[in-house]
Formats: sequence, C-alpha cells, structure tokens
Amino acid sequence: MTHDQDDLFAPDVIADPYRYFGQLRETDPLHWNARSQLWIVTRYDDLIWLVRHHELFSSAVIGSDQRPPYPPIDPEDRGLFDEVRHFRSDQLVEQDRPHHTVMRGAVHEYFTPTAMEEWRPFVRAAVGELLDAVQPTGWMDVLQALAAPLPVRIITRMMGVPNEDREYLRELADKLLYINRGEPYRMKPLMEGIRAMIAYVEPRVATRAAHPEDDFISVLAGAEQAGIFTRHQVLVNTALLLFAGHETTMNLICNGTLALLRHPDQWAALCADPEGLARLATEECLRYDPPVKSTQRIAVADVERHGKLIKRGDRIRWFMAAANRDPRAFSDPDRFDLSRSPNPHVSFGSGIHYCLGATLARVEGQEVFRALAERFPKMRLASEDLEYQPSIQFRSLKSLPVTWT
Amino acid sequence: MDAPRITVDHTRCVGNAQCVTLAPAVFRHNEAVQSEVVDPSAAPLELILKAARFCPTSAIRVESASGAVLFPAS
Repeated sequence: MTHDQDDLFAPDVIADPYRYFGQLRETDPLHWNARSQLWIVTRYDDLIWLVRHHELFSSAVIGSDQRPPYPPIDPEDRGLFDEVRHFRSDQLVEQDRPHHTVMRGAVHEYFTPTAMEEWRPFVRAAVGELLDAVQPTGWMDVLQALAAPLPVRIITRMMGVPNEDREYLRELADKLLYINRGEPYRMKPLMEGIRAMIAYVEPRVATRAAHPEDDFISVLAGAEQAGIFTRHQVLVNTALLLFAGHETTMNLICNGTLALLRHPDQWAALCADPEGLARLATEECLRYDPPVKSTQRIAVADVERHGKLIKRGDRIRWFMAAANRDPRAFSDPDRFDLSRSPNPHVSFGSGIHYCLGATLARVEGQEVFRALAERFPKMRLASEDLEYQPSIQFRSLKSLPVTWT
Repeated sequence: MDAPRITVDHTRCVGNAQCVTLAPAVFRHNEAVQSEVVDPSAAPLELILKAARFCPTSAIRVESASGAVLFPAS
C-alpha cells in the first residue's frame, strides 16, 4: 500500500475502495486524513454511533464549513462555490434539529413504504419499456439504457412535469452529478445545472401553489404556504429530489448488476426465482457495493473516541462501504450472498437523516433485478475494463456493457 | 378498549425518530437510539398506526389485544 499521502482520490482507491478503507477499518478505525483535513470512520458500530448522535455531529456540512472544498477547485471558481454553498445549505439533508424535524415532517408522508409501494406498477412498466427497446439488439450499456433513464422517468413523474421535458431534465441531472466529483472544473457545470433547474422549477412551484395536485412540488408548495419551507427551500429541495434520486439509483442498478454477474452462482439463484429473491438480492447489492460510499458530518462539540479527540468544527467522513464489510457486524462480509437475512447494512445511512427515498430505491432495485433475471438469464459482462467516477461520495461506474446473446 | 400490542424489530429500526416524534408517550429511544415501547395505551390507536406507517424501515408491528394484525397490512 502506498497511501502515505492519504490521497482519497488515488486511482486504486477509486477503483477498489474496499481494500483501502477496509484496511483502515482494521488498523486505524478513527483515522485523521491530513491531506483532506478530515476524520475517516470505517467501523459499523462507530458509524451507527456517529449518525445517531446528531446532537454531536451536524449535517450542515456545506453551509457551515468555511474551509475550501476538497479536492481543490479552479481558483477562479471560488465565487461559483459560494453560490453552490448558498444553494446547498437550504437542502433538507443539510438541516439540523429542530428545523430538520419540521421540514422532514412536511415531506416524509409522501415517501412512506406504504406510499412508495403504490409506485411499483409504474416502475415495473418503465423498466419493461426500457428493456423492450434494447432486447432485440442483444446488448446494452446498463448505465445508458436502464440505470440513468429509469430514475429520471420516475422523478419527473413525481415532480409532475410533462413527458416531453424528460430529456431536458436528464441533461440537467447530468450536470448536477458534478456535485461530488473531483474534477477541478466541476463548479461550472454544476452551477449551470443548478441555475437551469431553479429556472425550470420556479414557475411550476407558483402554479402548484395556486392549484395543488398530487405531485411532490405540490407537497413542497403546501409546506411553503404552511410557513415550513421558504420559496428558496422549495426550489432547492425540488432540485435535490432530482439529483438525490438519480445518481444513487443509477449506482444501485449498475453496481448490483455487476455484483450479480461477477457471482454466477448467485445470479443463477436469482434467475431460478426472480420474484422470490428480488428483495433479498436488492438488500445484498446495497450492502456489497453501495451507491454511496461515504458522506460527511461536522462535529459541534469536542468528542473522544478510540482514545482520540475529535474537535469541535472537525470534518468527519463515514464510509458505509467499509462498515457494510465490517466482520464485527456481518459474517463472511466479503462474500456476496443473496440469502443474507437480516441484512442491517447502512447504505441508506441511519438516524434522523435515514434516506428519505430508501423505499423508492428498493422498489426500483427489486423491479430491475427481477426483470433482468427473468428476461436475460444468459446475461454476462461484455467488458472487464470498467472505470469509476473520481468521487469520494458516490460509487459510480462510467459504463457497464452487457450482452445476452 | 384494551391496549394494542406493539413491537419494534431492532434488526430494522434505524432511529429515524418518526414514531417518537409522532407519539412520544408511546415510543422512546433507548441508549442505542432505537425505538422501544413505553406505554401502548398512551395514544389513540389511529396515531400509533400512523407512527407505524411513517417508519421508513417498517420496523413497527401493531396487533389488536386479541392478536389481529393491524399493521403492516398483509
């Protein structure tokens, strides 16, 4: 291992985060990364402790952190970064109590497991349509043909926007994906996407405020009228729905498909009983190679752990990708095993910020893996040459070509 | 009416705090910040069922005193 410089964006760490962060988990569970000036948490118990103690660790990560972004951005983009910070500090995920409780309370009911289950027929139909389009060709890039368009279809439907705007919103979603990338120029496409998104949503919010329907923008517009959200928060959180539900679902579908194809015995088991195993398979895909590798908090008090002092104001990144492979929490953790149950992975986080869209993601994963197993039992990788986006947060394949002929 | 039987599955509970926010007299968090039932009769059944429905991991099960499953719906 040659990580004496602690480069979290080193090509081998991006390609295989499990080795580097797994080693930290076993040798230095609370690790100070001097290069990026942050703590790294990798053990399951530590992660649970950290995220459930929201009174010690703030979620206002972007809004309250005055340090320059990491990795560095182009110096002339500092103004853009401030604009991004202003935008992101109004996201639900950036709020602390007590305001978080009230804001989440206003949108939580829309996303309950019972409510999201009602989306299953729509998700199933959308998966079917996307696969119909590629089935005769005998191959697809899972990312472009299925994983990227599926969540955009669902989210645009939730937003209540017309079908003809889907392509435009997908273009915007692609720009919003720069939010946690490593490229120095990333602020430019990101801010372009944010500005365009706000401009697109703004008139729709005004319309829905006057004439509410059963879509998510109407829920937010109602929360504005109740004095819970400001107009800016409504706009920001509508945009949040698009990018929070986009890349995460893309990664679930791609990483899950890859894990299944790399474990032919498990893929065969799913193909033998797609309906019966889809739920367990989705949970194991989420655990084994999670869509989100890590996320961040900021300490609001001095806290001691593992004999070290986390100081007030320190940044802490916690790695679900490492905690999901913690042998203290999972037996034979590096084994991909669809029969694993219970499977208390932390891929949706834990505590008060537990992913709002978790059930929707589950429904999407279940419908995708079921459909793939039913339609393409002969599916296999068309390339072993796979690359990941240079992100510390997301585990995002750049493409995933498969064939079934 | 007899109090319902409420159970919280700790292999699922993630401490999202919907139940303790909606029905604080019925649910509280333990030291691990997981939900436990303190008094199943301390809120109307309707509110308890809402708390169960709001649980993002479907960790809460509610039965009537006679054992009929009230949540989750089959």
